[in-house]
Amino acid sequence: MTTHRPVSPVAIPAPPALAEPPHRHLLQLRGLPAERLREILRLARRYDGIVGPRPAAEGFSPSGLPAGLRELEQELHGRVIANLFFEDSTRTRVSFSVAARRLGADVIDLTSVGSSVSKGETVVDTALNIAAMGVHGVVIRHRSSGAAEMVRRALEGHDHAGGQAFACSVINAGDGRHEHPTQGLLDVYTIAAAFNRLDSFDLSGLTVAIIGDVGSSRVARSDIAGMTSLGARVICIGPPALVPAKLSTLGCEVCHDLDEVIGDLDVVNVLRIQFERHDVSVGAQRADNAPAAKSSGGVASIREYSEFYSITPRRAARMKKNAIIMHPGPINRGVELTSDVADSHRSMVLRQVSYGVVVRMAVMKMCLG
Amino acid sequence: MSASALLIRGGRVIDPASGLDRLADVAIDDGVVREIGPGLTALPASRVIDAQGCLVTPGLIDPHVHLREPGNERAETIATGTAAAVAGGFTTVCCMPNTQPALDNDTMVHFVLSRAEKTGLCRVFPVCAVSKARHGVELAEMQLMARAGAVGFSDDGDCVASAGLMRRALAAIKATGKAMMQHCQEASMTGGAVMHAGVVSTRLDLGGWPREAEELIIERDVRLNRGIGCAYHVQHMSSAGSVEIVRRARAEGQPVTAEVTPHHLLLTDQEIERSGFDTHFKMNPPLREAGDIAALKKGVADGTITVLGTDHAPHAPETKQVPFDTASFGIVGLETAVALYALALVEDGVIDWPRLIAMMTIEPSRLCRLEAMGLGMLRAGGPADVTIIDPSERWTIRPANLAGQSRNTPFIGREVKGRVVGTIVAGKLVMSRR
Repeated sequence: MTTHRPVSPVAIPAPPALAEPPHRHLLQLRGLPAERLREILRLARRYDGIVGPRPAAEGFSPSGLPAGLRELEQELHGRVIANLFFEDSTRTRVSFSVAARRLGADVIDLTSVGSSVSKGETVVDTALNIAAMGVHGVVIRHRSSGAAEMVRRALEGHDHAGGQAFACSVINAGDGRHEHPTQGLLDVYTIAAAFNRLDSFDLSGLTVAIIGDVGSSRVARSDIAGMTSLGARVICIGPPALVPAKLSTLGCEVCHDLDEVIGDLDVVNVLRIQFERHDVSVGAQRADNAPAAKSSGGVASIREYSEFYSITPRRAARMKKNAIIMHPGPINRGVELTSDVADSHRSMVLRQVSYGVVVRMAVMKMCLG
Repeated sequence: MSASALLIRGGRVIDPASGLDRLADVAIDDGVVREIGPGLTALPASRVIDAQGCLVTPGLIDPHVHLREPGNERAETIATGTAAAVAGGFTTVCCMPNTQPALDNDTMVHFVLSRAEKTGLCRVFPVCAVSKARHGVELAEMQLMARAGAVGFSDDGDCVASAGLMRRALAAIKATGKAMMQHCQEASMTGGAVMHAGVVSTRLDLGGWPREAEELIIERDVRLNRGIGCAYHVQHMSSAGSVEIVRRARAEGQPVTAEVTPHHLLLTDQEIERSGFDTHFKMNPPLREAGDIAALKKGVADGTITVLGTDHAPHAPETKQVPFDTASFGIVGLETAVALYALALVEDGVIDWPRLIAMMTIEPSRLCRLEAMGLGMLRAGGPADVTIIDPSERWTIRPANLAGQSRNTPFIGREVKGRVVGTIVAGKLVMSRR
């Protein structure tokens, strides 16, 4: 006769303790101390001095490479980093690849297409298998909020049958609507560079607006966490369907009237409307079978949205003299901002991309170095 | 609208917004109230209106009318509907968006406002659709419509059925600063319904529209709105249970208001049987029972119901002179409103004249955000929208003395007391029975 005993949680063996550096992962900016953010940003600034884009006028140096570049390649020499992108990306994936190669790491690119993900493998299994091959770090993007955290738990030996732990870093390159911490860091870096705060990375006194689809934006959540932590005042602006009042619990302000506040802003960070992330279950019932994507998602129409929230030349003219415009990309020109504004002197869009590389270098060095 | 000077002499001037209630004269010039006080001297060339024995009140406001233009000009137009309005003492009407096409974009707002400017006898403000084409699927461009002049939002005629859409609508309307006006009808319970679900509908074997179909929507919306705080207005409230829900919500401090029509205060479902299936007793929501009338009156008396609205619903005869189950819903109400409300509420001792006037002036003005324009109140320097009512004049409601295009009312032949004798819009005497 056998007796069935309730399984106590204590009966499950605890995962083995890992002797690892304290900051092996970067999953989110929320909760990170300001000093920790500054540590990463200062390192990014050092890298920017070496790899930052040179004005075309300087031409190529006789040796062919900027000073210090060879030495940089020793920093993560011998490390293997896998890019696990389960969701479309151009900028972020290439940026992580360039950053890893600058530091001398080997990079493996994995996308859902052409991998076992298309055979139905779960994200956790994919990550465990990659880690079991001795890879040192995974950069992960996934459509589900919490995916990176889930992978971290699995790699540390939780929540899977084997309970085996791997010394593998996890860097979140965007999980659902939750966070995109390296974007948050590069946005902070861009603001610091534009307002001459690269020595202190102190953003106090600056007012940052995040305009548009804030509710569905992982960029916004990382921006709010990072920017408020470093002292900025952050105002989220958009219609209530995209900028719900409860966002104010994240430490920012909420406003539905852009024209009222535009003259007070130092930074206008414009987001794309992420039609793909909105609940279209109601819109899907449209009798005329029109594509729900462009008409639902909480805004009545692109026309109405643009009328009240698009950054137009008229609105740009009302901004402070030194105010800057940022956009995490991809831009829907003519919707959240007009082409002439996107290409104007205020636009920091390409600088954000350049700073993205050095910020990601710093993050990888901190996690894997 | 060029206006000559007017002097309204000797009436009982009532302005609920300021608490004014005294015998006085009202001097009007150039569209504006110049002075209110006893013994005023008429300006040269002033027309003098003798208002002795009359109430002189702010121009009445009806927050709930159907003007049918565009799309059903056979039943009513902005011209004929506003003629009915001024005949009934209304200087401002808010028209519902269930036209064809629906008032669901800013171009339609401009259409209504410009038609009213050209053909209207009183002020007209559109209440616009919550959802595109009033289909209840996608939000309409409410921010653009609010900017163009919409004074509130409703899919009236239809309820916003989807709770998800309703929540988004409440948040979006809150941001416009206007009110959400809900036609409260849980449609899954009212398929084929043509009258109140009760003893009479059972006897007549007509489809029943239960009270719960109204109450559930109010209960749901009040709950959805708790974290949002949008101004929420229950249109044409009909059931005792609804009064209770609104009373509770208001006691909690929620921004909830409700309106009641004359017919829901005066008629019950028994009229349908007594009249032999007269389709003029077919309304949406339906006429209910004596207990509901008592509860609605109590709601008016204790301030649960603050707004009076007629739901003026003109229909061409061919849509009413058909069997009961296929007839259109609704009756005209603008021209008979003052007399019928007086009968239901003042004669019955539920409220006094000043409160009745408040519920037809400053209260709907607040609901439709018209206070900033000075509407719904009577004060020196404000717009000269004035209604003169003889509270003791007896008259009989006859088709011949209705000014609107449609005559669908069950009150034909009824002798009533209290009649509007003069209506002044922006300083111009647009209707006079003296």
